[in-house]
Amino acid sequence: MSALLEVEGLVKHYHVRGGGGLFGAPVVLKAVDGVSFAIPAGRTLGLVGESGCGKSTTARLVLGTLARDGGQVMFDGEPVGSVRDTRWRAQRRAMQMVYQDPLSALDRRLTVGKQVVEPALVHGLGASAERHEKALTIMDAVGLSSRFFDRYPHELSGGQRQRVVLARALILSPKLLVCDEPISALDVSIQAQVINLLVDLQEKFSLTYLFISHDLKVVRQVAHEVAVMYLGRIVERGDPEALFHAPAHPYTQALVGAIPTPRTRGRARAALQGDPPSPINTPPGCSFHPRCPRAEARCRSEAPLLRPLADGRFAACHFPVLSTPAREAA
Amino acid sequence: MTDASLPSTEVETSRRRRFFRAWPPAVLLALAWIAFIALVSIFADWLKPYDFMALDLRDRLAEPVFMGGTFRHLLGSDELGRDVLSRLIESVRMSLVIAFLSTLIAAAIGVSLGFLAAHFRGWVEQVILGAIDFMAAIPFLIIALAVLAFFGNTLTLFILLMGMHGWERIARITRGLAIAAKEQGYAAAASEIGASPFRVYGAHILPNIASTLIVAMTLNIPEVILLESGLSFLGLGVQPPLTSLGNMVGYGREYIQTAPWILLSPAVVIILTTLAVSVVGDWLRDRLDPTLR
Amino acid sequence: MLGYVASRAFRALVTILLVLTFAFFILNATGDPAILILSADAPPEAIEAFREEWGLNAPLWKQYIGYLWNLAHGELGRSMRDGRDAWAVVSERIPVTLAITIPALIIKLVIGISAGIVAALWRDTWVDRLVMAFSVTGYTVPSFVLGLALMLVFAVQLGWLPAAGADSWRHAILPIITLGVAGAAVLARFTRSAMLEVLGQPFIRTGLAKGLVWRAVVIGHAFPNAAIPTLTIAGFMIGSLVAGAVVVESVFAWPGVGRLLVSAVGNRDLMVVQAILLLVTVTMVSANLIVDIVYGFVDPRLRTARGGQARGGT
Repeated sequence: MSALLEVEGLVKHYHVRGGGGLFGAPVVLKAVDGVSFAIPAGRTLGLVGESGCGKSTTARLVLGTLARDGGQVMFDGEPVGSVRDTRWRAQRRAMQMVYQDPLSALDRRLTVGKQVVEPALVHGLGASAERHEKALTIMDAVGLSSRFFDRYPHELSGGQRQRVVLARALILSPKLLVCDEPISALDVSIQAQVINLLVDLQEKFSLTYLFISHDLKVVRQVAHEVAVMYLGRIVERGDPEALFHAPAHPYTQALVGAIPTPRTRGRARAALQGDPPSPINTPPGCSFHPRCPRAEARCRSEAPLLRPLADGRFAACHFPVLSTPAREAA
Repeated sequence: MTDASLPSTEVETSRRRRFFRAWPPAVLLALAWIAFIALVSIFADWLKPYDFMALDLRDRLAEPVFMGGTFRHLLGSDELGRDVLSRLIESVRMSLVIAFLSTLIAAAIGVSLGFLAAHFRGWVEQVILGAIDFMAAIPFLIIALAVLAFFGNTLTLFILLMGMHGWERIARITRGLAIAAKEQGYAAAASEIGASPFRVYGAHILPNIASTLIVAMTLNIPEVILLESGLSFLGLGVQPPLTSLGNMVGYGREYIQTAPWILLSPAVVIILTTLAVSVVGDWLRDRLDPTLR
Repeated sequence: MLGYVASRAFRALVTILLVLTFAFFILNATGDPAILILSADAPPEAIEAFREEWGLNAPLWKQYIGYLWNLAHGELGRSMRDGRDAWAVVSERIPVTLAITIPALIIKLVIGISAGIVAALWRDTWVDRLVMAFSVTGYTVPSFVLGLALMLVFAVQLGWLPAAGADSWRHAILPIITLGVAGAAVLARFTRSAMLEVLGQPFIRTGLAKGLVWRAVVIGHAFPNAAIPTLTIAGFMIGSLVAGAVVVESVFAWPGVGRLLVSAVGNRDLMVVQAILLLVTVTMVSANLIVDIVYGFVDPRLRTARGGQARGGT
């Protein structure tokens, strides 16, 4: 089965001035450093990692809203560029974004209805009355009644605003939705509702999701496959359940261990040692080795590649933990 | 009866206090004056007792009513017997139209250049910033004088020239706000649904920064009125037979000893108008955008 | 620091050149000076002779190069009216203008800055309101109205001072007051808001919390910091010493540079207008340059931020 979205060797480097004021030599910040994945139509890939690991940059590279420095993105058999030409605009119809902070993603000077209609207007879909009709249908599908049509964003609650963002994305009937931390700005009580809504919508409109979150627990609820990112690279990829129960990469293990569950509460967890190194001075060898409890000499000199493990998962580690339950690994 | 009315008067007082805190009396007076002169300029043709160019040679330099004159010329007449009130009404209209149109021109130039700088960044931005610095560094009045003298002076040219005043401030403000807006989600989100830059800037960013721009434009108006009246006073602005407030003061200067009323009323109108617009502009700024100084 | 000064000076030069170029082409491309000066119904031979004499038959770019060439040699051309050296015509007016603008500048600085500081220190008291009322009237009343009002009261009604002309020092008083009051109003407003901003800053509150005396804080910390924005306005005022009195000179018939400009513009005397434009631009730009350099000393942060190429260790 060919994938809807194929990403191969994605790279984004920023040239920044190093420390030491104006005398600092220019250094390279490797925000995304060779990321590859594929998402089959109708499925969800969860992308997990700490803040600053390059997840959001990956999202923007995939959508072509940021110019990449290397690699290739194929969407529905066509390459995605970052030059805002006619093809780029046409591709927006099929790939849309759901933002972390719905209030800032919405224009506070326009009514909800106008903003939901806007994408259709921009792409010249249908007559005015049809667009209006379509907007009401979509709003209904995301659980917004028609009385919100003439409201302004600041009159809505956080969950309702995120529904507006969703409706705005869905009115174009896209195939792919990139959700960048779609629930982290919401109240905990609302988060579950939005997650359920996303799952329902996927089924209803046969959507494909790239779902980005720092929270492994949330990703596990929605994703068919999970990729864990660390300093611009994917360190482990595979089935969410397998990954959650038996993390192969020490970093995944630490992430899983950090989730408070009734069973782990009060017990020692695989805590991460040290500070996350900045993506400016990535250590040689495996970039995780300074924080890794299992690091050996080889990890300091040789960067591990993402290799398949026995159970079909992939991990970038010289010494992957094999079939050891996470809770005992501590 | 008495104890029942007590709370209601208290409510009344606090409501009145709240009203005057939101609408200070000075602002209300200023708004009333602006509304008044706006109406006068709109209905100028009906309000004028005489044609503003009509001569009344039998009644030259007639005194105004408040200086013992007759009601034939309420505010007196000038050296050619033209009715000062009619000329004043015509002048108010002229000065307001010039101030308003010039400010619109300045805003159009400023907003376009500000958006261009914010959109393209790089060398485009550097060139525009250079032009802004240049504009702020040159003595505009002197350049305006030179241009008027050698272009010859038509009303259209004069308005265009006045429209060159103040665009640099609006451009600087627009650029700053647009760059900030681009970093906020809504502009990026609009662009990511495939909206063209025209739509992003025109339909999203412009309405979001409009309040600040309106304040900047309001504060530009009194400056243009002063500039226009100064040039007209020097005889280099609005040319006869047309008339403007500065123009009237300029010609009235010759009769300052014998007939001070000729320049009195236009001078008062200039002061009241610039004062009123400044008061309203400052108030708008404090209300809408305290960050703009 | 040297690099900062050099880059500022370079920009100043570019600005002067731009103004000159702009003025030259605007002034020369828009009207035929021969017709403007001799009037359109002058005999064709006279117009032709005039053109020949002033080199107006050459292509515009040649005239431009010639203009710059002469400029580089200190030649600003001759007045088209009376054939005198344009620079001589202009320069004899400079002291006349300075005789009223320099005293006015002193009035502006002394009254404006002290009124602004007093208003800020006694914020929201009657002193503050008085200063602000004065300031608002000061810049909403056009200088020609103020000048005429002063003339009406002190010359026409009271007869204390002469109304117009430049025969004695008493003639200078009304123009100086007119200029000084308007400028002081603007300066007072700026100084007040700069002071208020500085007084609200954490380091002032820290100074007070440390137990420093209020006066010591104000003099030692607030003044130097509030001086920076005020400096810009003061620099602008210094830059307009030569040409800031166009309207006021015209009101009081004071024979300075401003009146010369108005009459030269009226006479279409191209060379004199260009010479004045050059003079005004150079003073304006030099004043800005000096302000920029003083900024660099007062606030070292600006050197790197605005100079661009400046090194960290200067």
